[in-house]
Amino acid sequence: MASKKGIDRRDEDEVCPVCKSSRYLNPNMRFLINPECYHKMCESCVDRIFSSGPSSCPVAGCRKTLRKNRFRAQTFEDIGVEREVDIRRRVMHILNRREEEFDGKRAYDDFLEQREEIIANLVSRTDVAKTEAQLQKYATENMQSIRTNQAIEEQEATSFQARISLEQEEARIRRQAAREEMENERREMQAGREDFLSRLAAGNPSDAASIARESHKVHLRKSSARRSEEDRLRQKQAALRGSELKRGTNLTSVENAGPSDTGLIKGLRKIKTPEPEKPYDPFMGYVPGKRDYVTLQQSYPSQYLDRLRKNTQAAAGGYDLQEYYSRTLTEAFAGLACFVEDEVAQRDAGLSKATAGEGAAMAAVSQ
Amino acid sequence: MAVSPFASRSPSLTVSSPNAALRLRAAAAQNASGPVATAKSVYSADRELTEQLNDDVRQKYVKDKRLGEGTYAIVYLGYLRDNPSSYVAIKKIKVNAEYKDGLTMDAIREVKYLQELSHPNVIALHDVFSSKDQNLNLVLEFLPRGDLEMLIKDTAIHYGAADVKAWMGMLARGVWFCHENFVLHRDIKPNNLLIASDGEVKLADFGLARSFADPYLNMTHQVITRWYRPPELLYGARQYSGAVDVWSMGMVFAELLLRIPFVAGNTDVDQITKICEAFGTPTEENWPGVTELPNYIPPDNNHLIPLQGREFFLRQFPTAGPVGADLLMSMCALDPRKRSTAVQALRHAWWTIEPRPTKNEDLPQKSGAKKMGEDLGRRGGEIDDGMFKNAARQLDFGAMK
Repeated sequence: MASKKGIDRRDEDEVCPVCKSSRYLNPNMRFLINPECYHKMCESCVDRIFSSGPSSCPVAGCRKTLRKNRFRAQTFEDIGVEREVDIRRRVMHILNRREEEFDGKRAYDDFLEQREEIIANLVSRTDVAKTEAQLQKYATENMQSIRTNQAIEEQEATSFQARISLEQEEARIRRQAAREEMENERREMQAGREDFLSRLAAGNPSDAASIARESHKVHLRKSSARRSEEDRLRQKQAALRGSELKRGTNLTSVENAGPSDTGLIKGLRKIKTPEPEKPYDPFMGYVPGKRDYVTLQQSYPSQYLDRLRKNTQAAAGGYDLQEYYSRTLTEAFAGLACFVEDEVAQRDAGLSKATAGEGAAMAAVSQ
Repeated sequence: MAVSPFASRSPSLTVSSPNAALRLRAAAAQNASGPVATAKSVYSADRELTEQLNDDVRQKYVKDKRLGEGTYAIVYLGYLRDNPSSYVAIKKIKVNAEYKDGLTMDAIREVKYLQELSHPNVIALHDVFSSKDQNLNLVLEFLPRGDLEMLIKDTAIHYGAADVKAWMGMLARGVWFCHENFVLHRDIKPNNLLIASDGEVKLADFGLARSFADPYLNMTHQVITRWYRPPELLYGARQYSGAVDVWSMGMVFAELLLRIPFVAGNTDVDQITKICEAFGTPTEENWPGVTELPNYIPPDNNHLIPLQGREFFLRQFPTAGPVGADLLMSMCALDPRKRSTAVQALRHAWWTIEPRPTKNEDLPQKSGAKKMGEDLGRRGGEIDDGMFKNAARQLDFGAMK
């Protein structure tokens, strides 16, 4: 605001480069710029040219298409500074990695340097197309992390504001307390002096010295009591501030997650994305009913079992012939295709390699 | 292991293959040149080969402090000599002349079936060796975080449907694996479900286990702690199947949800009455052949309770949700043929719907964990609480082959 006023005051006969009307004739004239091309023109020109939609810049030789809503008042006197600030804001908005996201100080510093380089490139118009492409690519790839970091920044800004206003409020209270205290002290001193004078007037002239000493002592005692009271207050306020600060930091501790590998920025801390939990397997990897050589049938004809099939008592007790089939068949085929010699040879080879293997295996089992 | 369709780690009690024996002999002949022949185990030529093998295993472990003592076993904490940070539990079986061959049936069963089974949800038997005085020592996996019963009873612990699902999943997998390898556990209850340091629930105490019976072979019906005993066993069925374990699983499920035992009878008859009240009266219609079971008690005809439907389970166990209630119902069918098997239970939709089972590391755990082996202070089937005093199982070994 102040700088804008400064501009107004400074240039009494400033002329709009588009309509050539000067401030001399129109003292309320405001100049606006558009961050597309930073060509300055007066408010009435903007209204006149861009009210009916986007149009090209009226400055000769500039073919940029401008929109009315992007026009704004100039903040800095130097248009170059204005432009650099805009570019910086935009780049910082995209490349908003935070220090805690990096492996170390060095990586973060590298990132800062890289960011400055990009800004410098854009400001000085070197490699603009390439740099812009890089930025664009980064922005689309890291949408998530950019958003989270923006949210964190906003939070920090608000909590900072809150802290500032709190501090100001505290300072105000302190000042008021101090003022009241001074007033009290003054009043007390007045009262003490009056008391002292009246006692002197009423009393014996020989007591004068002792009365004077006494009144001094009273004054001292009072002031020391006040001082301790002050200390107490100060401590309380400090404690309050501490808790406030803590709350502030709590606010900012937001988990940030996102893809860690961005082509542009190096040295980012690898963020461990939690592996998606596998669905719960009630069998924990075992396969129920796995039989290598047997397919269980519903029933097997057997005279031996016929009597049992008719036995209602066994049936009522829940005796399950399926269990019997499964057991006998498994036992019948158990050991097939097991070649003991091969396994022993393998085991012996393993043993000779690691004599302590058995102990280690046992340890592994018992852990 | 030949029986199992799954590849399994063979505990070193099976090293008595001729090849291993030959290697040991060679080592003994060379004397103190091989790594096995340390100062602790010097092989003399006249010593029995089996003794040498046994010593070899024994030297692998170091016995530490005592964890608990029971009527037939003492449990010690132990660790590998090579790696003191790997704990094991060493269960020393007392020799007692009372028993046949000086050993309890429980110990024999435990060795017989645990050496067959290797699964994350079944307690691992690492080794077996005998110590000086001919005592049998079982080297078991050390499970330091207590059992499910402690968690159920501890009112300071709060858990939800996801936790129950995780525990039930591990239990069901353990039971399913036993059945897949034709082993009946026959004593499933919360305090036999021990919890490993990583939160994994493991089926322990195979003292009552047996393999599936052949046709016409009678099994005892006096198994499974009463509250978890299925109706067919209460009615004295001598031929039964894996369905008995599924019933116990259902009872554990119900107990996990309610945090009190669901049907807790004081006597066998009381248990039957309570089951009838809870789930309905068994009749020829809903359980064909039930009247022919040896200990069948004809119900009071004026007091017939119809079979409970899905709404009953949903009302009783709202935590489980409709799908969970359906699973529980399928595990608590009175007729063992209508009860789902362990595989069917694991194929139920409940496991895959929300909420997802809690990860092992996030499961609630007791802070001052009870040490493993403390439950050995009581006989199998007994429960320490006063309420449980009358619930001891009766074992009828005479009737068994």
